[in-house]
Amino acid sequence: MLHATTRRLALLAASLLTLAVAPARAQIALGDAIPMADVKMKNVNDKSVTLASLAGKKGTLVVFTCNHCPWAKMWQTRVAEIGNAALAAGLGAVAINANDPAAYPEDAFPEMKKRAKDLKMKFPYVVDATSDVARSFGATRTPEAFVFDASGKLVYHGTVDDSPKDAAAVKSDWLRDAVNAVSEGKAVAEPETKAMGCSIKYREKKAI
Amino acid sequence: MRSLPPTLRAAASAALIALALALAAAGCSRGTSGRAATSAPPDTLALEPATAEQLLARVREPGARATLVNVWATWCGPCREEFPALVALAERRREDGLRVLLVSADFDDQAAEARAFLARHRAPGPWLLKSGPDMEFINGLDRRWSGALPATVVYDSHGAPVEFWEGGADSARFEAAVAPLLDRSR
Repeated sequence: MLHATTRRLALLAASLLTLAVAPARAQIALGDAIPMADVKMKNVNDKSVTLASLAGKKGTLVVFTCNHCPWAKMWQTRVAEIGNAALAAGLGAVAINANDPAAYPEDAFPEMKKRAKDLKMKFPYVVDATSDVARSFGATRTPEAFVFDASGKLVYHGTVDDSPKDAAAVKSDWLRDAVNAVSEGKAVAEPETKAMGCSIKYREKKAI
Repeated sequence: MRSLPPTLRAAASAALIALALALAAAGCSRGTSGRAATSAPPDTLALEPATAEQLLARVREPGARATLVNVWATWCGPCREEFPALVALAERRREDGLRVLLVSADFDDQAAEARAFLARHRAPGPWLLKSGPDMEFINGLDRRWSGALPATVVYDSHGAPVEFWEGGADSARFEAAVAPLLDRSR
């Protein structure tokens, strides 16, 4: 009897807690524009930028990443290379760290500066200080890439490639191919891909 | 037993019946899948590779009122945080018909870490290791899954998914996800 009552109470508490959990995040879809393009985000050079200000004439590459995640680390050299290549090809490029450094101290701003320098990133690596930009994209993991074409429409959403651990073993170079296609004004062959990654640790919403 | 007096013979028979009943009850309490382990597995426990298809075949195996699949990895902070709650849920709800399938998404060369982690947490088996390309596994398991870890899917007794989420959860959330399936009048 006691056992059943305890279980019912636990179930009630669990149901209430479940209601408090945020619903699944809606992701922007292919064809959508860059969301929250006017939000200022602090770059590793201490200057603020917006996604609108970073958009390139030929398109824009946005990668949600961070410093601590093993998967982001495995891909970070390739992300830096692809970002630099995108810039050279006339696209805008930006890496965004939306993680709460309270959860992962390695994701704090000083380490971002060091990482950008070590990786020779020629494009901004910025802080999404409220995680709202990541929320508006529906980004859930690191690394997660979005590529917009010259008209500002989303044409690629997904991962970097099919071989996180070994760059030499890549068979499908999805993100690089998407950037190349966009720079040439062509359609992206494989516009949606997936890989495993670390959940983005969103900063909590402040009480109003 | 024939050499025993009738009263002692009856007592011995009763004791044997009681022992048999106790053994049968212990056997039943091992769970619905027949593979669950309650004691700490050795560090050398077998990690069985599983594609999404193979995993879903296990989900559809009869004998469970609910199946919870959790994909985790040793390198994933939220996965490590929620793990004790998952193990506790598996233990607490086994007799109610809950089958828990824990699938490590560690790379093959991290299998030793995964085994040690499972052993340390006394995790119930079967112990599975994700096999095959990521995208195939992710979409094969549930197209709603972005690939972020951890990921949890709860299935009913027919293998139909009834709950899905990605990211860490606590004991209350796990309980809330399985309780409607387990506590339904039988």
